[in-house]
Amino acid sequence: MSELAAQLLTPWHRSASASVGLYFYFIRLAFLKFLAYRVRYYTGVVSYTIFVTGHYYVYSALFASAVAESATGQLGGLSLPEMITYVAISWIGRSFYFNAIARDLARMVQEGEIAVMLIKPFHVQTVMMFEAIGESAFRLLMFTLPIMVVIVPLFHIQSAPDPMIYLWTFVSFCLALVIYSQLNFMLGCLAFAMKNIQGVLRAKMVSMDFLTGVVVPFTFFPEWFQVVMSYLPFQYISYVPVTIYLGKRQGAELQEALLVQLAWAVGLFLLGRLVWRVSVRNVIVQGG
Amino acid sequence: MSDSLIQVRGLTRDYRLTKKREGVTGGLVDLVRPRREILRAVNDVSFEIPTGEMVGYIGANGAGKSTTLKMLTGILTPTSGEVTVGGLVPWEQRLQYTRHIGAVFGQRTQLWWDLAVVESFRLLQKIYEVEESVYKRQMETFHELLDIGDFLHQPVRKLSLGQRMRCDLAAALLHGPRVLFLDEPTIGLDVVAKENVREFLREIRDRDKVTIILTTHDLADIEQLCKRVIIIDKGQVHFDGDLEDLRVRVGQKVRLTVDLRESVASEVLAETTTGLPVRWETAEGNRHHAEFNRSEVAGGEVIKSLVNGVHVKDLHMAEQPIEEVVRDIYRQQKEPSA
Ligand SMILES: Nc1ncnc2c1ncn2[C@@H]1O[C@H](COP(=O)(O)OP(=O)(O)OP(=O)(O)O)[C@@H](O)[C@H]1O
Ligand SMILES: [Mg+2]
Repeated sequence: MSELAAQLLTPWHRSASASVGLYFYFIRLAFLKFLAYRVRYYTGVVSYTIFVTGHYYVYSALFASAVAESATGQLGGLSLPEMITYVAISWIGRSFYFNAIARDLARMVQEGEIAVMLIKPFHVQTVMMFEAIGESAFRLLMFTLPIMVVIVPLFHIQSAPDPMIYLWTFVSFCLALVIYSQLNFMLGCLAFAMKNIQGVLRAKMVSMDFLTGVVVPFTFFPEWFQVVMSYLPFQYISYVPVTIYLGKRQGAELQEALLVQLAWAVGLFLLGRLVWRVSVRNVIVQGG
Repeated sequence: MSDSLIQVRGLTRDYRLTKKREGVTGGLVDLVRPRREILRAVNDVSFEIPTGEMVGYIGANGAGKSTTLKMLTGILTPTSGEVTVGGLVPWEQRLQYTRHIGAVFGQRTQLWWDLAVVESFRLLQKIYEVEESVYKRQMETFHELLDIGDFLHQPVRKLSLGQRMRCDLAAALLHGPRVLFLDEPTIGLDVVAKENVREFLREIRDRDKVTIILTTHDLADIEQLCKRVIIIDKGQVHFDGDLEDLRVRVGQKVRLTVDLRESVASEVLAETTTGLPVRWETAEGNRHHAEFNRSEVAGGEVIKSLVNGVHVKDLHMAEQPIEEVVRDIYRQQKEPSA
């Protein structure tokens, strides 16, 4: 082997601290990138408020007609004020964890941009997750907070049963962000195998908010449905954090919910890495 | 086994295509029974490149250049064949490997589209763990050779093609890669920008001994930069050797365009070059075309006898375009007697 050939073989590993530095840098960059497009989010505040308003009237009407027949004044285990709070917190949470990784990844694959990611010595999956975190940090400041300022007083949203719950709800939504981003990432990986995943993305658009519990709380559904959902990760994106906020999970139950959520986050991240490995092996980069 | 830095053996890549039938019924038939076809984009390609060499990898559109480069950079897994660069297999040890290489795909940028150029460089510094002192030194070189200082603080999407390309080149070299893959690095550039890029590549080749593979459709790039060329056509290597040898093999065809002051009969014009191996073609008004081969007659001689015989207003000499060179090579292979 010539001298330079040997030199190329030099093992190279990024130190743990350098990795942290690098991936945090992606958070910063994503934040800056979205800041450049912040105007787009002002209209978002309006549309989220409209969603919540719509739900408010639907549930108010529902309670008015149904509650008369029940003695508890509850529907699906929730009172009307709880119900409204459920809806509002769901949407507030969604405004935080939401991202479009699947669409972005699919676009990069379809237009061949993925090539320039693949010639860089980093894990594309990790980069995309940290970019999603940066995006959510931006969303928290520029989107979630404004929405809270509008919605909370407007619909008399209940406060959490004790101050620590605010913290746990936030932690839970952060884990939700990881879970959501990894599901999205794996969905985007489908673009490596399929020519066109627009249909899949649209199906995801309509089903995701339903599966996570944003649209309707799970307690409205039959027992078997709730059992099935308890084995899937979707409820950890919205239903679980929101019920934590409502004080439906306390003490050991709260701990368990957060731990299972953490396990899902880690597990899906590892699964995502596997899916990526397999996908990249049959990558066909377009163009050039 | 040889000790060349880049070793490619029997590299082959197939693409699977689904051929669409025409019309509505055709579309319906496609749903039931899709017509699949396999396209061999790269076919049994082998070559070796020693450290520090700069090689031109050329061929017509669709010849398989980009596909080869994608495999060499580890983006694409080959159908069969082997590649090692410095002992690493690009698509298997991607994370290790990409640390040591740089690549420019002329068609697309690797800078972050929404960010100022300098932000991209700072990010690359982090990605490749380039020390601050090295970063400063590299940036100085880039300022000097590529003159990128003026638009460092503009977002990439606002740069012109030439500006962007210069930034992309700098970005590919920031971490001091040992190997550089360039897929059409001069595409769409004006004469001045092309010259800048070539000058820069010459500099890094001579100074840093970077091993470079370059694809291009501009023969001038090759002439000015590469001693060695590899010609690929329909996925197969048709020539691998010195540029000079190539010239000898295909000859050096030159196309001459002459504008005359007054109309002159073709025969009269042809007479001026009697005795010289020049082939005149039909004229368009006062514009005449001729072809000759530099290996048979010097351009100066042709022009001298021409100017002596008729009133020449203007003239233009053009090298045979690269596609034609490739076609000639291909033809020669088909007719071994030639
Ligand atoms: N993603 C793809 N799917 C199917 N066929 C492809 C794909 N990419 C390239 N091809 C085909 O493979 C062949 C080689 O393409 P390639 O891009 O390597 O050519 P090239 O030499 O780079 O051409 P150009 O000079 O036009 O850039 C072409 O016939 C092309 O149509
Ligand atoms: Mg190409």
